[in-house]
Amino acid sequence: MYVYRCEDTLESIFTAIYRVYEEHRPKDEVLLALDEEPRLFAEEMIVTADQERSGKVVRTLCRRFGMEDYERICFALTAEDVEKAQAVYRTVVSGLALREGAGYGRLFEGLGDAQVCKAFKLARSAERECCHLEGFLRFEELEKGALYAQAEPKNNLLPFLMAHFADRFPEENFLIHDVGRGIAGVHYRQTGPEAWVLIGGKGEKGAAVTKGVEAALSESELYYRSLFRRFCGEIGIRERANEALQRNLLPLHFRKYMTEF
Amino acid sequence: MAEVGKMSVMEKLKILTDAAKYDVACTSSGVDRRGKAGKLGNCVAAGICHSFAGDGRCISLLKILLTNECIYDCKYCLNRRSNDVPRAMFTPEEICELTIQFYRRNYIEGLFLSSGIVQSPTFTMELICRTIYLLRTKYGFNGYIHVKAIPGADGEVIRQTGFLVDRMSVNLELPTADGLRNLAPNKHRKNILAPMRQIQNGITQNRSEVAVYRHAPAFVSGGQSTQMIVGATNENDYQILNVAESLYQKFELKRVFYSAFVRVNEDKSLPVLPGGPPLLREHRLYQADWLLRFYGFRAQELLSERRPFFNVMLDPKEDWAVGHLEEFPVEINRAPYEKLLRVPGIGVQSARRIVAARRSCNLDFENLKKLGVVLKRALYFITCSGKMMYPTKLEEDYIVRQLTEKEQRIRFGSDGMTYRQMSLFDDAGFAGNAEVISAQEKWQTAMGQL
Repeated sequence: MYVYRCEDTLESIFTAIYRVYEEHRPKDEVLLALDEEPRLFAEEMIVTADQERSGKVVRTLCRRFGMEDYERICFALTAEDVEKAQAVYRTVVSGLALREGAGYGRLFEGLGDAQVCKAFKLARSAERECCHLEGFLRFEELEKGALYAQAEPKNNLLPFLMAHFADRFPEENFLIHDVGRGIAGVHYRQTGPEAWVLIGGKGEKGAAVTKGVEAALSESELYYRSLFRRFCGEIGIRERANEALQRNLLPLHFRKYMTEF
Repeated sequence: MAEVGKMSVMEKLKILTDAAKYDVACTSSGVDRRGKAGKLGNCVAAGICHSFAGDGRCISLLKILLTNECIYDCKYCLNRRSNDVPRAMFTPEEICELTIQFYRRNYIEGLFLSSGIVQSPTFTMELICRTIYLLRTKYGFNGYIHVKAIPGADGEVIRQTGFLVDRMSVNLELPTADGLRNLAPNKHRKNILAPMRQIQNGITQNRSEVAVYRHAPAFVSGGQSTQMIVGATNENDYQILNVAESLYQKFELKRVFYSAFVRVNEDKSLPVLPGGPPLLREHRLYQADWLLRFYGFRAQELLSERRPFFNVMLDPKEDWAVGHLEEFPVEINRAPYEKLLRVPGIGVQSARRIVAARRSCNLDFENLKKLGVVLKRALYFITCSGKMMYPTKLEEDYIVRQLTEKEQRIRFGSDGMTYRQMSLFDDAGFAGNAEVISAQEKWQTAMGQL
């Protein structure tokens, strides 16, 4: 048994996958672990993230399985699940075992396999949450015209959200704050549509982010809020009222940061 | 008009949202457009829902009327000429400002603009066109826009508007020409179908233009849709479904929406609905609509002249399946995709996954559950490697009893469908109270398609 201990980052997990192949380990006897739990009779390797190696894995995954499946893998790796690295590793191994070209767009087709199924489920639930947040995220305008949004996603979705909104608002300065993780994505209008950075992290850095965004709201912000509340109040048809359906489609935990509730 | 001028945006928004809410179409799908430097917004093909209203319908677009003044007198409509309701009118700048500010805060996915008829259809259409032009050019809005084409408006204005918007729709209002004559004396079937045909032709032509010149301006790239009111006149489900089918086939519509009739006016020609709007009927129509578009069913398979209404207890697919037991059971590991689609409890997604997953291994019931098949409905109709999940009989009465008993539990239980909604089917011409209906229906379904 070979245990590769990774950090919970895309780079670290991809580096581990590269090293399994590089060091010619028997694929079935490898475990990618994100926890610190010791295992009996196992040879342990500490993985340090390596840009070159992980980059190679990214290129291979894109070439062999296509962008869509690569994106799914990234979604699966945003989940808060200690076994996600192993599930993704097994999925990739089963895909790479196919001959060149046979796995294109088909990485997640072998759902009969428990590990593939697990990776697929993680990816699907992260993807769904991302779709929800793309709709349910609410920005508020700060004094100098910048936009600020808060969210507490279950999965670590900030990179996906930033990409979506950077494409949508190329001419805005905005900041999305992941309150639970203490990180934030910042987009500047001067730097073009694709330019954004992630800041913050665990502990002090995260606290600094929270402190930094305590700015005053712009003058018109409250006015537009009340307009939108009025709109949401009027648009429902009273004769069709169905609160249970509303709660099904828009679960309560999203409503914490939403303007209209 | 002088009074209208003094009104605040807040009041206008209240009046014109209230007037627009009976319009159903609120999808923001069908267009994939990336953001542009210097502009605001992009479009996502799947559409994005930004919120959900108290009635459970999605809020995706800023759904408002340009004005609720109207020269027409349609009997079902709140904004008809003869109603004494507060009237308001937005200026184009107000609409643009609202759209931009809401969009920046991620409240909405775009704008849905409809209008009452002021002066003439062409004049109204010009007002809409001017507003959208302003929004697209001066305000640099690159998000989703859906507008209503006004029946009877000049073709050229509709064409120009088509190049600015993502989706256009013309409301069919009522499924048959007779119904339209009775309830909307100022509207004519011919006038409604003419712009629909024009938009269809425009889209077809545009498709070949874009094929040659990649940067040719797009015309209504999200396709067109329409909506029908269900339950205001006495058409049956079979007629409505046939109309929908021919709209999909002959006019290449993206969507047909059904809206359960809500009685907002007191009028002797409108039906009285003691149980509220016919929501269950609307629900069944949507289910059948999906079967037409994604499952390869035809309207004639689901209903017939002799059996013109949907079953209250079973959904249209279950209803079809128990009537065609000679097609079942279906072997999961071998049946073609089209056959899998016809099994109750298997949807498009799970059918695709089954076809993909069975390439690498033989599937059993445990796998099916993971793939997303609803086994409690599917188990009567499928086998895995020749075995059924439980020993079940392939008999109509037995299966109907099993399916409906479970249905009962679900419907009267936890998920919000209430007992009251069952009685909504009354207005479709069934007599008696709900209890009698369901017992009678149950008996009917148990006895087959009497």
